[in-house]
Amino acid sequence: MTNISISPDEITRGQPYPGAPDNWKRFFTFSTDHKVIGIQYIVTAFFFFLVGGAMAMVIRSELLTPEADLVDRTVYNALFTLHGSLMIFFWTFPVLVGLANYLVPLMIGARDMAFPRLNAISFWMIPVAATLMLASFLVPGGPAQSGWWSYPPQSIQNPTGNIINGQVLWILSVAINGVSSIMGGVNFVTTIFRMRAPGMTWFRMPAFCWAVLAAQLIQLYGLPALTGGAIMLLLDITIGTSFFRPENGGNPVVYQHFFWFYSHPAVYVMVLPVFGMFSEVLPVHARKPLFGYRVIAVSSVVITVISGCVWVHHMFASATPPWMRMFFMVTTMLVAVPSGIKVFGWVATIWGGKIRFTTPMLFALGGISNWVFAGITGIFLGSVPIDLHVHNTYFVVGHFHYVLYGTIVMGIYAGIYHWFPKMTGRMYYEGLGKLHFALTYIGVQAIFLPMHPLGLQGMPRRVASYDPEFIYWNVIASLGGFLLGVSVLPFILNIVSSWIRGPKAGNNPWRAYGLEWLTTSPPPVENFEEIPVVVSGPYGYGKNQPLVANQARLGTIEEPATS
Amino acid sequence: MTAERAIAQDIESEVRHAQEHDEAGNSKFGFIVFLLSESVIFISFFVGYAIFKTTPVGEWYPPGVTGIETKEPLFNTLILVSSSFVIYVAERYLHDYLEVKKNGKLWGFRLFMLLTMLMGGYFLYGQMVEWSGLPFTVQSGIFASMFYTLTGFHGLHVLTGIIMQTTMLRRSFVSGNYDNGYFGVEATSLFWHFVDVIWIVLYILIYVWQ
Amino acid sequence: MKLRAVITISIYAVVVVFISFWMAKQAYSWLPPEASAESKLIDDLFSLFTGLGTAIYLGVMGPFLYSLVFHRAGKYDMEDGPHIEGNNFLEITWTATPLLIVLMLSAISYRTYEKMAIGGPMELVHHHVPQIIEPAYAEPFDSTPQQKIQEAVETEPTENIVVTARQWSWTFYYPDRDVSSTELHLPVDRRAKFTLRSEDVIHAFYIPAFRVGQYVVPNQEIEYELTPVKTGRYRLRDSMHSGTYFATNQSDVVVQPLEEYEQWLADASSRTPTPAFNQAIYEYSQASNPGAGSTKDKVAIRGWATIPPAPAPVVNFSTQQPPDSPASGGNAAEGQKIQKAPRQVPDRSTPDYSKLQ
Repeated sequence: MTNISISPDEITRGQPYPGAPDNWKRFFTFSTDHKVIGIQYIVTAFFFFLVGGAMAMVIRSELLTPEADLVDRTVYNALFTLHGSLMIFFWTFPVLVGLANYLVPLMIGARDMAFPRLNAISFWMIPVAATLMLASFLVPGGPAQSGWWSYPPQSIQNPTGNIINGQVLWILSVAINGVSSIMGGVNFVTTIFRMRAPGMTWFRMPAFCWAVLAAQLIQLYGLPALTGGAIMLLLDITIGTSFFRPENGGNPVVYQHFFWFYSHPAVYVMVLPVFGMFSEVLPVHARKPLFGYRVIAVSSVVITVISGCVWVHHMFASATPPWMRMFFMVTTMLVAVPSGIKVFGWVATIWGGKIRFTTPMLFALGGISNWVFAGITGIFLGSVPIDLHVHNTYFVVGHFHYVLYGTIVMGIYAGIYHWFPKMTGRMYYEGLGKLHFALTYIGVQAIFLPMHPLGLQGMPRRVASYDPEFIYWNVIASLGGFLLGVSVLPFILNIVSSWIRGPKAGNNPWRAYGLEWLTTSPPPVENFEEIPVVVSGPYGYGKNQPLVANQARLGTIEEPATS
Repeated sequence: MTAERAIAQDIESEVRHAQEHDEAGNSKFGFIVFLLSESVIFISFFVGYAIFKTTPVGEWYPPGVTGIETKEPLFNTLILVSSSFVIYVAERYLHDYLEVKKNGKLWGFRLFMLLTMLMGGYFLYGQMVEWSGLPFTVQSGIFASMFYTLTGFHGLHVLTGIIMQTTMLRRSFVSGNYDNGYFGVEATSLFWHFVDVIWIVLYILIYVWQ
Repeated sequence: MKLRAVITISIYAVVVVFISFWMAKQAYSWLPPEASAESKLIDDLFSLFTGLGTAIYLGVMGPFLYSLVFHRAGKYDMEDGPHIEGNNFLEITWTATPLLIVLMLSAISYRTYEKMAIGGPMELVHHHVPQIIEPAYAEPFDSTPQQKIQEAVETEPTENIVVTARQWSWTFYYPDRDVSSTELHLPVDRRAKFTLRSEDVIHAFYIPAFRVGQYVVPNQEIEYELTPVKTGRYRLRDSMHSGTYFATNQSDVVVQPLEEYEQWLADASSRTPTPAFNQAIYEYSQASNPGAGSTKDKVAIRGWATIPPAPAPVVNFSTQQPPDSPASGGNAAEGQKIQKAPRQVPDRSTPDYSKLQ
């Protein structure tokens, strides 16, 4: 191995088009560089995470007492509706698309995404759509108040009588977000299918790319169905069609099928990339190859397939015939198999390794432990008789927040910490990172664990007031929620301060395998001096073999971890 | 190492060449993925139609309506389906033109593209005539909602297709337009076939299955 | 070394089994009282899931935590771990095991569902008589609830009740006696058959103590059956978000011995129907007339326009009272003159289940 290569200063850092700024200002331009777009996505999404989190704080404050005494009931309903919508459509989706945008071209050895301009358009739709959704606070009648499901006939009821009301703005916003997601899906699928570097076969592709591909395929087959349902709902509200109006022979249950046909797989759209990140983070910090890599990679695609036929488990109580209940009970439980394979693979990956408790590793391990718990409660919910009791109670809320916060958000944190040195060229502060982890982990347990007993006792979700018997667990959950709110502060402090003046990280601070670690930090505009030629699989820990044939020509200045 | 590097540089130049000159291929792949994705919107509408029709909660047809006229729509359908062949001919002409670079072939492309546009336009006109002659509005129950939504949504796609064709026709007068392949024309053609297939299913659902 | 590993694993397995059984026992205490025959079935199932879930959780987390404690890198240890890429035997095992477990759980859930025989949508005409399957798993499932359901279905006349959900009130109508109420009264140990209707949006008929949740869908009449087996007062909640005052859409369920129930019916049928108090209407009127002491002044943030609540249900019997009046106690018959109405219903002996338990 020669150690000679170009110093990063010599690498051209020109922007994709002349005259573009090469400083923080480039994040406010219509840049077509996937790395700029990735960071734009992540930061924008994080802003909406804070907005949605503020709403959650108000919700938990309201639930400190049994009476509806903090905000008016309409406000409460609007808050949980927008909390859910923002967190799903404007935090989890975009932040994962951002991470995927940043990492996928680097990991497969491409210079950029297949359609850079489409990529930029996809991103700029997000702030537009989110602004539209938040603008609904300013229209008469306030924002949508029918939950993020927007079940008709309740979502069709229009107390103000205006055509421009919160519900319509909500649908338009989700539709714009959907168009953005579909364009993103086309872009990712094309990129992964057609832009892989020479030698990058399917089974040399990192598990994260597999997971992103699986998730984007779900977007492509699922989102249009929701779009169809949303168009019908919009027409019902605006021009008086009667798809879901029971008084005119419509059938509101049909909407639920459209909605859940996409919105349950949507959970896998969110969780699959996080699984991918677990699969990337664990081998690096345990210094061992991913155990059963092929099976873990393929299980992502298996989840894509199975997730297409589980949606009715959201409707066990919704006037569905018994045969449907039984069929979807079996399919729902089957999801546990590919998910289980992944968990066992991760446990086997760290087993006997050389584990270092860095912040990304802590977040990944915490996320996996929460995922095991959430998966088990998911099996409970998959069983029809149990679901008939806990359906629409806080048990469900606890279950999916363990997935969405305990697993997905912690996985996102793991990913951000893990690739932060790559994105910025600087290292975050480990102490603040560990503090962030501790607060997050304790907060997650304190807020979401009490929701399970509440649900089992029969407290319905989405209530602004509740019977006094539930106060004990609710107070604990609220306090945990406030702790979770505080936990974001060290993260922001850490990221902002170390981005500005953190210690220089070098190209490969984790001594990790992977194409993205072979180029400079941050990578130059076209990622690699030379397109890498891949000669071995993705997780070569303990094997002492090069990953690419032309290592010295990629723009790296450090020896990669081959010892 | 140097040998490896030489190989790598060779491959590098090949890959760059391939990737830069295969943008049309990428675009085509992406466009097909997009069309497949978009067909799911129509499929969800069709499934909705079937559910509403087979398990009616109230009256299916609006009061006083027993069925829907099929004769003019059938003629309309034939026009639209034949236009698929016309645009295929146009595409072949363009293909031949790029082979032999004879202007006559290009004029053939323009002529058949224009013919496709006219047929699509006639189809939309027929739809308008049909809509204006119907005794029910979008608010008269579930069949009416479904009918107007499906045909309207499809009509929007036809309009989009015509706009795409207009663009392709205009661009055929730009010199050097086909230096990087003719992905635009391919995409327009694919889209037009897609719109046709959707219409055939739609026709069967609404007009045949009564 | 090998021996030590075997011993460790064995001890851990014993501990896991012990804890799982303990959790399965505990699971019953996390749930509301078992007031219907169906709830016993669901609780048994829940307990089984809890035990299995605990075992799986500990089975995964044990090695996971062990690894985190004992497989950490030394401070200056820059070595890689062993290059192990997989193990076919292990991977096949951990694919097949969950598959078998979930199929088994599906089968058991299906059986429980069959035994519940709650009817439900699409079964508007025929009675669904559950088959008696001799349970292969005698423990911890006992067959008492099943027999109860069975006997109730076969021998007892069912009590028909029409449940109407509105934004935001519940009305219960007893067609046999032409009695309506905002409080659901049920005779104990008697099969109750509900016909669920909604007048506006989707609601959900949810009685935690009965372990039932069923959407109430406008334009559909959904039949639902269950057998209350324990007297007492329980809560009925709307568990499907149905709009502004959705959280107030709750009512009481009173399960009484048959005599008391008949008494109540007779008593209620003699009253003239009057509009019942309704929390949603109360709050709505307060909100639209801000003044001293209204709820509008109590909240920090004013709200937006809302769908007005449906008119108060006009019923023979209601116990709901405004919050500013002395709260209505737990006794449904409080402050009511019990009139001896002629018994019009033939006296039926209820089977005595106490011997079975």
